[in-house]
Amino acid sequence: MIDPSDVAIETHNLTVIYNKKPAIWNIDFELPKGKIIGVMGPNGSGKSTLLKAIMGIVEPNIGYSKLFNQDLDEVRQRVSYVPQRQSVDWDFPASVYDVVAMGRYATKGMLKRLNTEDKKIISESLDQVKMMPFAKRQISQLSGGQQQRVFLARAIAQKADLYLMDEPFVGVDAGTENAIITLLKSLRDSGKTLLVVHHDLHTAQDYFEWLVLLNARLVAVGPTEEVFNEKVLSDTYGGTLTTLSKVANLLKVKSFPMRHK
Amino acid sequence: MNTLREIISFFSFSEPNVKVVFLGSLILCSVSGLVGTFTLLRKRSLIGDVISHSVLPGIALAFIIGQQKNIAYLLIGATITGWISTFLVDYITKHSKIKSDTAIALILSVFFGVGVLLLTHIQHSGNASQSGLDQFIFGRASAMNMSDVYLFSIVGILIAAIIVIFFRGFTLLSFDESYAQSIGFPIESLKLMLSITTVATVAMGVQAVGVVLMSALLITPAAAAKFWTHKIHVLAILAVIISGASGVLGSAISYSSKGMPTGPWIVVVVSLVAIFSAFVGSESGLLKGYQLRRQNNIKILRENTIKLFFALQNLNKTQSRFSLAEVSQNSKMALSSLKRGLNLLVNEKLINKDSSGYEVTEKGTEEAKAIVRKHRLWELYISKYMNLKPDHVHDDAEGIEHVITPEIEKELEELLEFPTRDPHDSEIPY
Repeated sequence: MIDPSDVAIETHNLTVIYNKKPAIWNIDFELPKGKIIGVMGPNGSGKSTLLKAIMGIVEPNIGYSKLFNQDLDEVRQRVSYVPQRQSVDWDFPASVYDVVAMGRYATKGMLKRLNTEDKKIISESLDQVKMMPFAKRQISQLSGGQQQRVFLARAIAQKADLYLMDEPFVGVDAGTENAIITLLKSLRDSGKTLLVVHHDLHTAQDYFEWLVLLNARLVAVGPTEEVFNEKVLSDTYGGTLTTLSKVANLLKVKSFPMRHK
Repeated sequence: MNTLREIISFFSFSEPNVKVVFLGSLILCSVSGLVGTFTLLRKRSLIGDVISHSVLPGIALAFIIGQQKNIAYLLIGATITGWISTFLVDYITKHSKIKSDTAIALILSVFFGVGVLLLTHIQHSGNASQSGLDQFIFGRASAMNMSDVYLFSIVGILIAAIIVIFFRGFTLLSFDESYAQSIGFPIESLKLMLSITTVATVAMGVQAVGVVLMSALLITPAAAAKFWTHKIHVLAILAVIISGASGVLGSAISYSSKGMPTGPWIVVVVSLVAIFSAFVGSESGLLKGYQLRRQNNIKILRENTIKLFFALQNLNKTQSRFSLAEVSQNSKMALSSLKRGLNLLVNEKLINKDSSGYEVTEKGTEEAKAIVRKHRLWELYISKYMNLKPDHVHDDAEGIEHVITPEIEKELEELLEFPTRDPHDSEIPY
């Protein structure tokens, strides 16, 4: 048990059903503040869905989540979400600066103009990911690693306390991967909490202090040294959950409701 | 010639009706360019087509209920069925197994079919005021009167105001919807506002352009503008200018040739602008790509030619002047390109030419060395880091040597610790 005042994220029975099939199933956990926490699991195990459900981007069918013991809407200003890099069209007419400036919209809303303070924060954020020389560059001209840095800079510009990042290490070069992990650690050192979807088992132990292991249902959660073992990994990635996926498929094919009142 | 004179007389506003047509097309088309910017950026071009075809049954129904051609009634009818159609497409896509392309085709044809059916029914009903209702299929700007234009101005200004005020929200919605939602933007309201403004724009626009071609007027101006800029504000303004100008010009042409529908002419004009932009657009036009390739080819020719003199000098240390035949013997280039390359270098004073042949200048020697250095550094780099055998690296380096910038050259030198010999054990010249 974590002391309630130290809980950054709590989910309670969180369940999301896509097209009648549960993508995440009764996810129930508490995650501590001030840690870099990895979310791992095989393809289609619901990692992105978990993040989206916590951020209210997909509506959970059952269950709820709390951030800093409060509803999302009360703490939205303190939470920053980094979508998958591939989820947007990088041919959009915008410059690197424009995208990072979007981070300030979180506090400014749709109508208020950005002031000098905002501009300072944008510049600092660009600096932190070493993209200042590219500020005026059209985003379609960026490499994959640079695109990811821009997304991170946008998140930093939000000045949040909790960061939810969806696959920030996918398709980036080794240099960027190192730069990102250094950045995450420096954010952690300044007291921020980071929940990071990741799929590379080799680096899991180096990157994360805590792990959430997912395969539609929650397989394990806890400090890396406690949960990163062969038993848990084979439960997560191995075939022991085939019955679960069979049942999930049945729900879809036969149109059964998951819960009935 | 006659037509041209007619067009010129259109812009002199000598006939009172001309002013109405001019203002009407200008307003309708400008608004359409502005709204269409977001239709394009949200990749909902085909939805634009659904809406425009689906306003037809609304127009017909409004007429059947009101029994008169009151533009306000028709506009309301058009907006309602247009909006229902987009709602249905989104609903079907979200809640059934039918994919969006199928849903679009389905809704478009059903609504348009019903529209044509109702229109035929009205034409046979013998109501005298129905004449001209079929003009909504291809559009007739000249059928507008001044009170129509007043109505269009008010609705147009409203739509433009919504787009301008919520520009930031619409931009973020178009670029990254999840993120917009994560920072608490009211995306459902934003989507609703965009779809209502789009439907209203289309409903007005069919007066001038017609239901069949309206979606072209929505999408094409922004598509054309995208060849000129990568800034979204500039894109929107440019789209407005392109569509406004095309609208006025198209109306003028159709006005001058009696009996011609307006829509096709406006679409022809705006399409010509789009084709022109695709060729010469400053951001991503074809001409730009052609220029770039031409510049690259010249650079390659130039560097390949100067490189020859490095080889020639090494081959024959006592000789400094080489005849064209001697140069050509050591080169794989066609004689014509070689001559072209030599002329380039003579003009740049990298080599001197006289009756007995070519001599490389000091500046030219340095340049030749630089190319050979890049070539050999690259050979060494790929043989070392990509485990290629020395006999496999030359062809690759022949291409890459022209691309390597001074910064990359420096990086290579540092990475390889300022090597002196390449994989073939030739000296790397500094």
